[in-house]
Amino acid sequence: MTILLSGVSKTFGDFTAVHPLDLSVPEGSFFALLGASGCGKTTTLRMLAGLEEPSSGRVLLGDDDITGLPPHRRPVNTVFQNYALFPHLDVAENIAFGLRRRRTGRIRAQVDEMLDLVQLGALAHRKPRQLSGGQQQRVALARALVNRPRVLLLDEPLGALDLKLRRRMQLELKRIQTEVGITFVHVTHDQEEAMTMADTVAVMNEGRVEQLGAPWELYEHPRTPFVANFLGTSNLLRGEPVGPGGEEGDDSAGDGALRVRVAGAPAPLRLPRPPAAAGTAADGAGTGGTSAEETAVGEAGTGGTSAEGTAVGEAATGGPLLLGVRPEKIALAPADAAHTVPEGHNALPGRITDAGYLGVSLTYIVETDACRELTVYAQNVERDTRLTPGTRVVAHWSPAHTFGLDAQGHGQDATAGREAP
Amino acid sequence: MTAVVPAAPPAAAGPEPDPPSARRTRRLTPYWLLLPAGLWLAVFFAAPLVYQASTSVQSGSLEEGFRVTWEFSHYTDALAAYGPHFLRSFAYAAIATALCLLIGYPLAYMTAFRAGRWRNLVLVAVIAPFFTSFLIRTLAWKTILSDGGPVVGALDALHVLDVTGALGLTGDTRLLATPLAVVCGLTYNFLPFMILPLYSSLERIDPTLHEAARDLYATPAATFRKVTFPLSLPGVVAGTLLTFIPASGDYINAQLLGSPAEQMIGNAIQKQFLNVLDYPAAAAMSFLLMALILIVVSVYLRKAGTEELV
Amino acid sequence: MSLAAHTPAPTAPAPPGGAPPAPRPPAGTAAWTAPLRWLRRHAVVLAGCAALGYLLLPNAVVLLFSFNKPAGRFNYAWHAFSTDAWTDPCGVAGLCGSLGLSLRIALLATLLATAFGTLAAFALARYRFRGKSTTNALIFLPMAMPEVVMGASLGTLFLNTRIGFGFVTILIAHVMFCLSFVVVAVKARIMSMDPRLEEAARDLYAGPVQTFWRVTLPLAAPGIAAGAMLSFALSFDDFIITQFNAGPSTVTFPMFVWGAAQRGVPVQVNVVGSAMFVLAVAVVLAGRLAASRRRTQERKAAAG
Repeated sequence: MTILLSGVSKTFGDFTAVHPLDLSVPEGSFFALLGASGCGKTTTLRMLAGLEEPSSGRVLLGDDDITGLPPHRRPVNTVFQNYALFPHLDVAENIAFGLRRRRTGRIRAQVDEMLDLVQLGALAHRKPRQLSGGQQQRVALARALVNRPRVLLLDEPLGALDLKLRRRMQLELKRIQTEVGITFVHVTHDQEEAMTMADTVAVMNEGRVEQLGAPWELYEHPRTPFVANFLGTSNLLRGEPVGPGGEEGDDSAGDGALRVRVAGAPAPLRLPRPPAAAGTAADGAGTGGTSAEETAVGEAGTGGTSAEGTAVGEAATGGPLLLGVRPEKIALAPADAAHTVPEGHNALPGRITDAGYLGVSLTYIVETDACRELTVYAQNVERDTRLTPGTRVVAHWSPAHTFGLDAQGHGQDATAGREAP
Repeated sequence: MTAVVPAAPPAAAGPEPDPPSARRTRRLTPYWLLLPAGLWLAVFFAAPLVYQASTSVQSGSLEEGFRVTWEFSHYTDALAAYGPHFLRSFAYAAIATALCLLIGYPLAYMTAFRAGRWRNLVLVAVIAPFFTSFLIRTLAWKTILSDGGPVVGALDALHVLDVTGALGLTGDTRLLATPLAVVCGLTYNFLPFMILPLYSSLERIDPTLHEAARDLYATPAATFRKVTFPLSLPGVVAGTLLTFIPASGDYINAQLLGSPAEQMIGNAIQKQFLNVLDYPAAAAMSFLLMALILIVVSVYLRKAGTEELV
Repeated sequence: MSLAAHTPAPTAPAPPGGAPPAPRPPAGTAAWTAPLRWLRRHAVVLAGCAALGYLLLPNAVVLLFSFNKPAGRFNYAWHAFSTDAWTDPCGVAGLCGSLGLSLRIALLATLLATAFGTLAAFALARYRFRGKSTTNALIFLPMAMPEVVMGASLGTLFLNTRIGFGFVTILIAHVMFCLSFVVVAVKARIMSMDPRLEEAARDLYAGPVQTFWRVTLPLAAPGIAAGAMLSFALSFDDFIITQFNAGPSTVTFPMFVWGAAQRGVPVQVNVVGSAMFVLAVAVVLAGRLAASRRRTQERKAAAG
């Protein structure tokens, strides 16, 4: 069942939890709503479940308008944040609850099947409080899935589990979703969780969807500083574009890339034009029959000012913009080996101020004139022992890994979406 | 620190091992703490009960003094003479308890789930009547239910009194001095004892359980039947006990709002003790009352225990 | 977890009885069912408010009839408005004396019951010892026993030990039934306290005595206060147990009212009842107001 939210908003008093929102979740997809707490993701989920009535707009499931339908009449089930298992009922009765309410037949058999599925057969007559967190989580999942809902809603379902168990359950959930083929809508604040499981991720911030797309697309081509910082880490540099025909930005390389002057950088940095503005999703995102193209997002009523490609589009007309690059895309060369920097790479000279050893990787903080703290990740393959704090280096990266962001959009600055210090 | 530095004084060297005498005092501490309260209750609560038990098998009179003669006739006499009183006591108390549950549950539910920011105010309103002496409030029911008053008038106009009068619950034209008035007074007096435990068990229910139930296709009615009510059972049990036990021993409502035909066993005990001065009989009746309450309560608890209590 | 055998097919038809998503009912049918739906949705609130009315109605009547000028000796029927009783509350022989006696007994009983009960609560909440369950039962039983039984048995004891009925016997009886309530209130509070706070105090160089005075007691204070207020209210308002243990010259306020109910109720009784009600509600509301104001200030301070 395709879920369609059209112009849906929610206000509590004078607080707007969710701004008018258009969202479509294709059938059979694993869809994640990602954001910090209070961003409106849980409210959106609760409106899908019927636990919250939208202040405006309509919720469609397939062709049916379910906006005014109470939760007990929606073919939708929820795995609640703290599981909300009924403490007075045992595991089997918890799972049977929905079936009994709808008076379906074969309750015993369906419950047994579901208990086998979540491998809790031996614990069928335990009370919830006699179970571990992971077992409770499985009961909550079984209790929802046994009803064969058209859509399964998961509200931070793994939030209460420890890290190791969480990783295992992520893979389990993903596998179950692929096998049962039900549409999963998953709310989480854990970007890694969203990226691991979801086909499509909608990043929410302050009641709005900032960006929507396949995980790799969000990571490689974030469109707002919030997304750039909330998903992983980004180095953002403020700059002024100089047209490709300008004296400094000569297009002698013929790569069609925009030249951006960043204060403190020895030469303008190159920012490639995105191939067919934001149409980058088609390849690779199509896992599980879902591509970001089927998934439309925008803000209703704002007249087509969708975020697509605005940053670079506006940049061409001369506004300031933010250049971004992921830390792991940057390579470091000692200053005396600067000649090894490949031709055409963006380069910033600087000095290492801090080096951290994480085992699997190394983290460097490089002080440059353009950016006081440039973060660089290096794979721990063959550690360059010359790179110690104090060493003068050149940080360089391929222009293809550079992304541009609108410096003024949404009132965000370069630190939006970063976790609080 | 080096070896040259003398060992730190023992007081500063972490937890010092208790000398044996200190350990003994610590073991005795709870007994010292309990001593005043325990002694008080032993002497003025437990001992009187034992003493009363012995009184109940004494015979004699006030003039000659009472002696233990293992005279069990007080018990059989009490049952024979006051059987109807016992029956009325338990019947009125049971009805009043049921009414308290019926009236108190919605109020406790509203306070726990629907009152929002009015919650504290509602709680104050539930407790506030306590501050006026309950005797005065019970006397106020005499005004409310008085002959020719608005309540009697309304019930009469609706022909309710004709029905209840035919059933013997009220008079044909009056409420005062009828069983209904006594039950009404009992219900009123013990209602807060029902509401407060109900509220505290309802308030503890996680509201997401309601959402989970509704998400799992339970109608509001089914949510209440299958989730809310079972989870509030501890409060229901506590509330019914706190209402039923004192109500079955009460004699004030029967005295103030009833007639001699509505006398309960409490009235009989009070009369035997304070007016007739037949202490063995009063003791035997008290003991019977206690024993009967014990039986009723244990049967009730066994029944309630088969329901799944959290 | 394995999905090997069982996989609900995505194309599985909706189970029988599954709620088919229906469009919202058209506005026309909603119009006449709307009041009914509103009634159903708010039935609980309406019933709750009715119950509140039932609880508060007698207090309203008591207040109203404190302004009555009754025709006869009984103040059950409205006759004429008058403030006589309010301007002369002690105008009835014995009333203010009984009020004073009740206050004295309630204060003393509260003091003793709170002190003894708090000590016992600490023992029961913090220590393991032989005979604990017996002690718990001994403390629980007075709350689960009809007052008439307790009153009659204690009265029987006093009768035969030849202790003269009077102030002392009433006080003994009141401390007896208040103790249990204090123990329960204080014990609940102590059990809910974080034991790590006391450990932290010990860690920060407080000795056992200092820990008790500076950490444990302040933390337990709300429970102790609740127990004290409860025992004051219980003692002040007790009638049944008092009736079995009072002497002829020790008439407490409830006993005065009881006696008056037989002979004729003076309006002043309503004045006292109303004044206590209004005073108590005012105190509680003022406390709540102060608490909420403090909380908003704290929130402001925390935000600023």
